Amino acid sequence: MSKEIVTGNEALALGALRAGAKVITGYPGTPSSEVIGFLLSHPELWKEKGAHVEWSTNEKVAFEIAAGAAWAGQRALVTMKMSGLNVAFDSVISIAYSGINGGLVIYVADDPGVSAGMAEQDTRGFALMSDLPMLEACSVKEAYLIVPKAFQLSEETKSPVFLRLTTAVSQSHAPVELESPYYLPLEREILLERDIQKYTKAGALICMAQHRDLIQRLEKSKELIREMKLNELSLSKKKGQLGILASGVSYSYLEEGLLLASQFGLDPEEVSILKVVSVNPFPEEEAGTLLENSELILVLEELEPYMEKNLILLAHKLGLRRRIVGKLDGTLERIGDYSVREVLLGISAALGLKIPPELFYGIQAEKLAAPRPITVCAGCPHRGTFMAINNGIRKAGFKKDQVMVTGDIGCTILGMNPPFNTVWNEVSMGASLGIAQGYVHAGMNSPVIATIGDSTFFHAGIPALINAVQYQVPLTLIIMDNGWTAMTGMQFNPGTSEKFLPQGSKRVDLEKLIPGLGVENFWVVDPYDYRKMSEIILKALKSEGVKVILARRECAIQAMRRGERAGKVKVNPEKCTLCKSCLTITGCPALSIGEKTMEIDQTLCNGCGLCLFTCGYKALEREEP
Amino acid sequence: MQAIGNPEYPYNIYLVGVGGQGILTIGEIISQAVNLQGIPVNFYPTKGMAQRGGFVKAQLRIGKDLVGPAIPEKGAHLILAMERSESLKAVRYLKPGGDFLLWDYIWAPTAVMLGQASYPELAVVREQVQNAQGNFLVVSPSLLPNFEGNPAPDNVFLLGIALRRTSLGKVVTFSAVEEALKNRFKRFTSSNLFALKAGYNLEL
Repeated sequence: MSKEIVTGNEALALGALRAGAKVITGYPGTPSSEVIGFLLSHPELWKEKGAHVEWSTNEKVAFEIAAGAAWAGQRALVTMKMSGLNVAFDSVISIAYSGINGGLVIYVADDPGVSAGMAEQDTRGFALMSDLPMLEACSVKEAYLIVPKAFQLSEETKSPVFLRLTTAVSQSHAPVELESPYYLPLEREILLERDIQKYTKAGALICMAQHRDLIQRLEKSKELIREMKLNELSLSKKKGQLGILASGVSYSYLEEGLLLASQFGLDPEEVSILKVVSVNPFPEEEAGTLLENSELILVLEELEPYMEKNLILLAHKLGLRRRIVGKLDGTLERIGDYSVREVLLGISAALGLKIPPELFYGIQAEKLAAPRPITVCAGCPHRGTFMAINNGIRKAGFKKDQVMVTGDIGCTILGMNPPFNTVWNEVSMGASLGIAQGYVHAGMNSPVIATIGDSTFFHAGIPALINAVQYQVPLTLIIMDNGWTAMTGMQFNPGTSEKFLPQGSKRVDLEKLIPGLGVENFWVVDPYDYRKMSEIILKALKSEGVKVILARRECAIQAMRRGERAGKVKVNPEKCTLCKSCLTITGCPALSIGEKTMEIDQTLCNGCGLCLFTCGYKALEREEP
Repeated sequence: MQAIGNPEYPYNIYLVGVGGQGILTIGEIISQAVNLQGIPVNFYPTKGMAQRGGFVKAQLRIGKDLVGPAIPEKGAHLILAMERSESLKAVRYLKPGGDFLLWDYIWAPTAVMLGQASYPELAVVREQVQNAQGNFLVVSPSLLPNFEGNPAPDNVFLLGIALRRTSLGKVVTFSAVEEALKNRFKRFTSSNLFALKAGYNLEL
C-alpha cells in the first residue's frame, strides 16, 4: 500500500482498475476527462492484463460499448461530463430497462459553479428519471473506495449504477492509500445469452415487463445499500433539536462549519448527521430515524432540492411535522457551488444563531482587476480562420451584423471574443449546423455560416451535415480541424494523425469523408494562408448549396510541445510605426507594445505569420524554420 | 503530527495568476512536500477554459483529513499571487492578519495594451490588502536571478521567498520542498533548486 497524491478522477480510474473493470470508455469533457486521460498515460497498469481503454467518438457510443461489455458479463466503466449524459441517455434508458449482467458504472461529473462552461445540470435528476441507483463521493479518498462498491451494487442488482462527482472533488488532489496491485483483473467467461424478452424492446408487453423489472431492481438496491452501510447516520450524543442531511462535497464542509458555528452558541454534540452516499434511491430508513430524532432538519445539497423534497415526502408519510431548512424555504440557493458558508447560513437560519454576515464576505477587490477575456492561443490556426471569415464577409459586401455565424463547443467558440467578435452563439456538441439550417429556413437573405471543430464534428456534426445535404440548404460550414480535442486538454480523436493514435488505430480523414456525404462544394485550406483562406470563404459565400471548408492545420500548442515551429517572426524596428494594427486585428498573446516598436515574445510566437498580413508597413518579417 | 488538534488548521493557501506562469505547479509542489511530511492536504486547482493566458486559481487546505476543497472568504492564511491585476481576485479570501505575497508581474490583457481598458496601480492592491487587514509583501520580478545564463524559474523563486517570509515556513519545511522539487523536476532539477534557495535567501 502506498499513500500517493491523486486527483478525484485518477482515484476513480484506480478504483475501477482495483474493481477489475475490463472495458473503460468515455468522451472528453471537463471536469471528467482525467479518468481516461490517466489510464491512457499509464498503459502499463492495464494493457498487458487485457483491459481496453478508449476515447470514443461520443458519449452515446462510449456508453453502448461499456453496456455491450457488461451484457457480455464483464465489468465496464463509462465516463462523461453532465452534458454528455444527454447524448447517451437514449441508450441509458433502454439498457436500464433490460438490466445488465456484469457490472456497469456510469461516471458523470457535474459542475456546480460552472468552472468549465455549460449548464449547471444536476445529474441526480437523470438517476430519478431512469430508476437507476446513483452513488456520490464526498472526497478524493472516497472516490477511490466507492468504485468497487458501485460495481458490487451493479452486479448484485443487475442494474447499471451511476457514480457522480462534482468539480470540486473530481479536480482535487489529495493523498490516498492505494492498494496493490493496482489492477485486479477478473477472469470471466464471455456470457452469450439469447433472450429477446430481455434484450429487445419489441412490443408493449416486453417493454412493460422490463419497466416492472427495472422498478424492482431499484427496490432491491435499497436493501443492498442498507446492508452495505453506504449511508452513515450518527445520532447526537446529547439530545438536540438539529438534524443535518448532507451529501457529496457539501458533507466535506460540515466539520468546519460546525466548529465555526460552535463559536456562536451551537453545541456540535447536539447535532445528528446523515451522510447520504446513495443519492438515489433515497435512504428512507436512515432519514426516517433522523426525522424522529430531530425537531428541524437542514438539508445540504448543491443544485436541485432532490433530497429535500424526498425528506418532506417522507415526513408526511411518517406523519411527522418537522421544519425543513434548505432551498425550498429560501435559505439556500439552487445556483452555484457550496462551501462552508452554506453550512453556516443553514445552521444560522435553522437555529436562529446570530452569525455576523461579515464572517462570510471578504473585500470584493476583484472589481478593480482588468478584464481578461480569453482568446485563441499564439499561433492558433483558428486565428487565421476568424480573420478570414471577417474579411470574407466584408469582401462579399455584407456587414458583420448581417451574417449569422453559428458557433460550437470547444476552442472554436473563442471566436466570440474580441478582437474577432465573429461567432454569435454556442449551444451543444454539433448544434452549429442545425441552428444554421434553422436560420436559413427562417428566411435569411444574407449568408449563413456554421463553424465547428474537428472533434465536435465527429461527435455530433455529421448527422446535421447529412441533413443539410439532403435538403440542399444554402450555408457554409467551416470545419476548424486542428487534429486534436484541444480545449479539454489535448485528447486524440478519430481525425488525429496516426502518429499519435494508439497502436493499431486507423485515422478517419475528413478530406475523404465529406465528399462521401454528397458535398459538392468542398475546399481544403491551410488557415495560416490568410489570402487563400479569405478568397475561398468569399467564393463559398457567393456559391449556391452546401459549401464545406476544411480549414486544416495542427493545434499550435501541440506542435510547439514537440518543438515544431511554423517559422520565426521579427519586428523590423526601422519600419514599425507602432500603429498597433497587428495587435488590434490578431489579438495575438505573443504581441505586446514596446517603447518604440511592437515586441514579440519568442517563447510564445510559433511563427505562424498571420500578423504579417495586418501590417501596412511591412515591419513584420518572417523566416522559414 | 503537530497539525492535528491545532485550531489554526486547516492552513489555507489561495494561489492566483495567469495560465502559463506555473502557479499550479507551486500548488502541486507544496502538496507533495506536505504529503512527504505526513500531513493531509487537499489541493484544488481551477484552470478555467483557457489553455494559456487566462485567470488561474488554486486552493490548498492543509492539515485535515476530510476538508471541503474551497477556502471560505476571509479564510486564507496565505495568498500567493503571480500577477498584479489578478491578485485583486484573491483579496476577498485573505484572512485578517494573513500574508499576501505578490510577485508584481504585469501581464497586460490586449484591451489594456490598446488603451481600451485600465490596469490597476500597485498602490491599489496595497490599499485593498490593507483594508483586508493583511500583511502585504511585494517582490519585483526585476529581482529574479539568472541560472546559467537564463532567468531562473520565477514560480519556484517565489515559493522560496514564501517559505522564509510568510507563515508557510511554519507548515512546510525547506527540505520537504527540496525533496518534492527533486521528484517533480527530473530534468530541470538544478535550476529549480537554485531558484528555491535564491528566493529563500533573498534580502528584501
